[in-house]
Amino acid sequence: MELLCLEMDTIIRARPDPNLLCDDRVLQRLLTIEERFLPQYSYFKGVQKDIQPFMRRMVATWMLEVCEEQKCEEEVFPLAMNYLDRFLAVVPTKKCNLQLLGAVCMFLASKLKETRPLTAEKLCIYTDNSIRPQELLEWELVVLGKLKWNLAAVTPNDFIEHIVKRLPLPEDKLALIRKHVQTFIALCATDFRFAMYPPSMIATGSVGAAICGLQLDSADQSQWGDSLTDLLAKITNTEVDVLKECQEQIERVLVSSLREGRQQQQQQQQTQRGPSGKGLEELDQSSTPTDVRDVNL
Amino acid sequence: MCRTMASHNRILSVLKNGPARRNLFGPVDREQLQVEYQTALQQDLEEASQRWGFDFILDKPLASSNFQWEGVPGTKVPLLYRSCLLDEEQGASRRAAGRICKVGRVEPQHNDKENIPHTPERCAVNMHDLEKTPERGENAGVKRKQTNLTDFYQAKRRVVWMPRKSGE
Repeated sequence: MELLCLEMDTIIRARPDPNLLCDDRVLQRLLTIEERFLPQYSYFKGVQKDIQPFMRRMVATWMLEVCEEQKCEEEVFPLAMNYLDRFLAVVPTKKCNLQLLGAVCMFLASKLKETRPLTAEKLCIYTDNSIRPQELLEWELVVLGKLKWNLAAVTPNDFIEHIVKRLPLPEDKLALIRKHVQTFIALCATDFRFAMYPPSMIATGSVGAAICGLQLDSADQSQWGDSLTDLLAKITNTEVDVLKECQEQIERVLVSSLREGRQQQQQQQQTQRGPSGKGLEELDQSSTPTDVRDVNL
Repeated sequence: MCRTMASHNRILSVLKNGPARRNLFGPVDREQLQVEYQTALQQDLEEASQRWGFDFILDKPLASSNFQWEGVPGTKVPLLYRSCLLDEEQGASRRAAGRICKVGRVEPQHNDKENIPHTPERCAVNMHDLEKTPERGENAGVKRKQTNLTDFYQAKRRVVWMPRKSGE
């Protein structure tokens, strides 16, 4: 059965509100409250017996694919992962229920953030009907209870505009930078090592990685020099060393996921002659993944 | 539309493996899932009981309650908080009740507290859509209603911390 999407892309969205983005109080408030929404424990070391980090990655990757295919808003996926981590930090969960949990978290995040949210039926189809809509709705209530109905969590995406606005960046590159930053944030959300990091740090690290990756920082050395990290650190009150480490970690994850993807594609192409012509092109471009500029997002 | 994920992207595409529609961890044990669901709800209910000092099953305040509880007739609470009715017939009567409520509403008094919502108004208008997700062909689907936490207890109002509105 094919998933058929007949929806037209006519969602009307609000413009960025300068009253919110230019007021320092908003950023400060986000920084103050963000810690409240972090998972309480590194749950693989205690609460969880049946599930392991690679399973979180599996479910995260699946969730990302669903969000992408359904053209969800950017923040839906990171928010859903926040719910998933907070739930797993308190409730021992079996591996066979992990996909159900992932679906529930997407369901909730989508309802909170989107004008046209994902439906229970659609999500169940994406699990290959291994769960039923009724189960999804029942567990929605359980997850809500465990999250104490605190759904409006702060995500790294909330910080993007605040950070970008405070940097001297060329106007014509902003759209590209945003896109890269969003990609890095999504990438971080698939990796458990970032699950306990404050969203502001992930956002700041992603902005740093995006600017370095596009080599915008080297265009005008006198303007940036070594100070990009300092400036970023100041914006979100992060320690410079910690931020540097975070940014490097993001870059490492990027490199390794590109490498992994390359191997995967090669394997796929060996078994089946490339399903799309674009596959080969992508392969060539990512063969030297150290230079992010070459990666056309 | 650059803010939607549609425009993505090469990096994330390399994470993909096969069609998005797939079962990740094998079959779900439905019976066990149901048991766990009931247990989790039970636990939630107990926690709520402790927190609010109210036995939601017997519908009575707990002896140890820190709150004073006072019964309020269902018609006096906003529609959102009324017990949910499941079948068609009752659904119709619920909508009727909504209308009565709307018509019978007294003229809004000039309340000097602006932030107290005049709830019946808004709820009555949107009632039909309260728990629907916009989806084509919904009517064809199974008749089902999402469970609310409020399904499990009758509407009550906490009186201790809430100053009464002058008009009531």
